[in-house]
Amino acid sequence: MQPLLATLFKELRLLYRDRFGLLVLFVMPAVLVVVVSLVQENVLKATGAAHMDILFIDQDRQAFGTLIGEQLEALDTVTLVTSLDGQAIDTDQARALVDKGRYQVCIAVPAGITEAVRARAVEQISDAFSGGSREGALPLPHVSVYFDPLVQGAFRSSLLNAMKQMLLAMEMEIKAQILAESVPVRFQQTLSALAGRIPLDPATIPKLQMDSGWGRRRLMDVVAEQSRLKKLPTSVQQNVAAWSVFGIFFIVLPLGGAIIRERKDGTLARLRTLPVPYITLLVGKLGAYVTVCWAQFLFIVLMGKAGLPLLGTPVLSLGSDTTALIVTVTMVALAACGYGLMLGTLARTLEQATMFGAVSVVCAAALGGIMVPVYVMPPVMQTISTFSPLAWGLNALVEISVREGTLGSVRHELLYLAVFFAVTMVIAWARFGRFDRQAET
Amino acid sequence: MTHPEVPSLTTILWAEGLTKTYPHARTPALSSFSLSVGPGEIVGLLGPNGAGKTTAISLMTGLLAPDSGKVTICGADLSKHPRKAQQCIGLVPQHIALYPSLTAAENLSYFGRMYRINGRELKARVNACLKIVGLSNSAHGRIETFSGGMKRRANLAVALLHQPRLLFLDEPTAGVDPQSRNMILDRLSELSRSGVSMLYTTHYIEEAEKICSRIAVIDEGRTIAHGSPGELTHAHPDCNDLGQLFLRLTGKDLRD
Repeated sequence: MQPLLATLFKELRLLYRDRFGLLVLFVMPAVLVVVVSLVQENVLKATGAAHMDILFIDQDRQAFGTLIGEQLEALDTVTLVTSLDGQAIDTDQARALVDKGRYQVCIAVPAGITEAVRARAVEQISDAFSGGSREGALPLPHVSVYFDPLVQGAFRSSLLNAMKQMLLAMEMEIKAQILAESVPVRFQQTLSALAGRIPLDPATIPKLQMDSGWGRRRLMDVVAEQSRLKKLPTSVQQNVAAWSVFGIFFIVLPLGGAIIRERKDGTLARLRTLPVPYITLLVGKLGAYVTVCWAQFLFIVLMGKAGLPLLGTPVLSLGSDTTALIVTVTMVALAACGYGLMLGTLARTLEQATMFGAVSVVCAAALGGIMVPVYVMPPVMQTISTFSPLAWGLNALVEISVREGTLGSVRHELLYLAVFFAVTMVIAWARFGRFDRQAET
Repeated sequence: MTHPEVPSLTTILWAEGLTKTYPHARTPALSSFSLSVGPGEIVGLLGPNGAGKTTAISLMTGLLAPDSGKVTICGADLSKHPRKAQQCIGLVPQHIALYPSLTAAENLSYFGRMYRINGRELKARVNACLKIVGLSNSAHGRIETFSGGMKRRANLAVALLHQPRLLFLDEPTAGVDPQSRNMILDRLSELSRSGVSMLYTTHYIEEAEKICSRIAVIDEGRTIAHGSPGELTHAHPDCNDLGQLFLRLTGKDLRD
């Protein structure tokens, strides 16, 4: 018993002395829980609703367009964007913005829908009185919804259903209104026709023919329009982009570990007595690990091109701008390796580097839209997401492979990745040159 | 040979007035430390734990920048021309500073290339260095599979690869068996005879007595004795050997 207790207390004492290790053990899971929970909050809600900026084009500019706008605006989760830089948006402009992924949804109310809907309502009420059916005589007007092709199916369905419900309620209102206007007129007409024949034969009083078929006749519809992109995105494209960025960033674990091992076993000290500039050593490391990142990416691409199609998925397409793809993957790899170098120089132990490295990458991936799309996150998380290097990498790769993007269209993401790489390298370089401070007598 | 006023043309290592205080430390780790090493000389640097030996080596190899003082190696000022000075030195660190998953030959080849040695010359030197330390038959064995003595010898071989004129040896025989220790000391003596200078730190006084032509004893960052083993024992006739002298100079109190 004594040896057992002694071992137990020894281990507890060792754990207690490793304060940072304990901190990592407790703080990192807490960070993961907070980040991933917040990121997924909206996804797990029954409605799947998230706060979103939606482009809204009201070409109707009459009662109906205004009413749709007001009803959408009344939703907590939606902010309608009706102009950009003070200029009204036209449909072409809006569709281009949606195709580029700047906005996920555009709702367009066509011109003349108020008159068209009213005409159909009048027609249907008239048919109800006459017992006829002129279905098809007037075209069915519809509200168009344009989705970013990358928007998930569940979210599309959710929004379309919400729209349909809203329009149905409006239809009921219109039909009731037209009915209310028609009944006195019809009643008057009937009374005039039957004057002098009172008491009336009940069979001679016209009845409203409002059977189930009449009830299902729509006044208007909401239609999800087809994307103008030549090639629609596939799940393979999105997953290859997302998980290759995620995988590349996991290079921080071996890279950070290698630096810590060199420091601990004295190899770094030996290297620093060599007549070789430090930067050569850092760049040498960087080159090796960037090569590994590229090998990782090519392996995942190979799976997308050759492996997954065997299981029935579409063949992976990576867009047409190979230069942009090469530059982007290289920048993602550099950013990941820079982070690994920085972590290796900042962490004191291998455990610190691996634990912190893994958790930070998972958090950055969650924030960056690797696990759930950024547009379904709460607004605060969407803002934080813009600071995730994984988001920059993912956005750039998706832009190139899915939206036929070019170097020009991903220049901002590349710039952010370059700045991130530069900052991490400067920190690593500064720490690398300051290890002398940690030397012992 | 005592520390001269100015370095002669043949002086390999010249350190003068080196002082270093670490951040947040109240006392300097090394204070006004001076030392010179001539061609083929082996100078022992002795001192208890925490005396400042590793700090002295770190300052003289360029791993640390001194607060004051100057180091000249093979005529090159270490602070002004570090690359030129470092080309002359080989460091055998206290730790086994090798890549465990690489073989002995791969480790040597890597460090050789860092000195811009390539091709046949590199291969020849790798083989020669492994032969010097008795590891020819283990050239293709991974360091992680080596015994403690073999690792120490491989650690030494790496420092010899670029044929340095000055070797810094920081406890190169720590934790090895008597056979390996004997071999290492023999090889160091041979290198010394071939003109290689050395600064040697150790806790084994008999080792220093055996191979060093001069010894500097430091404690609490200051040089407290300096001279040949004979000169030092003659100066303290009540001490029978260097071991006794060392305890006399540094005391018997335990050091942290």
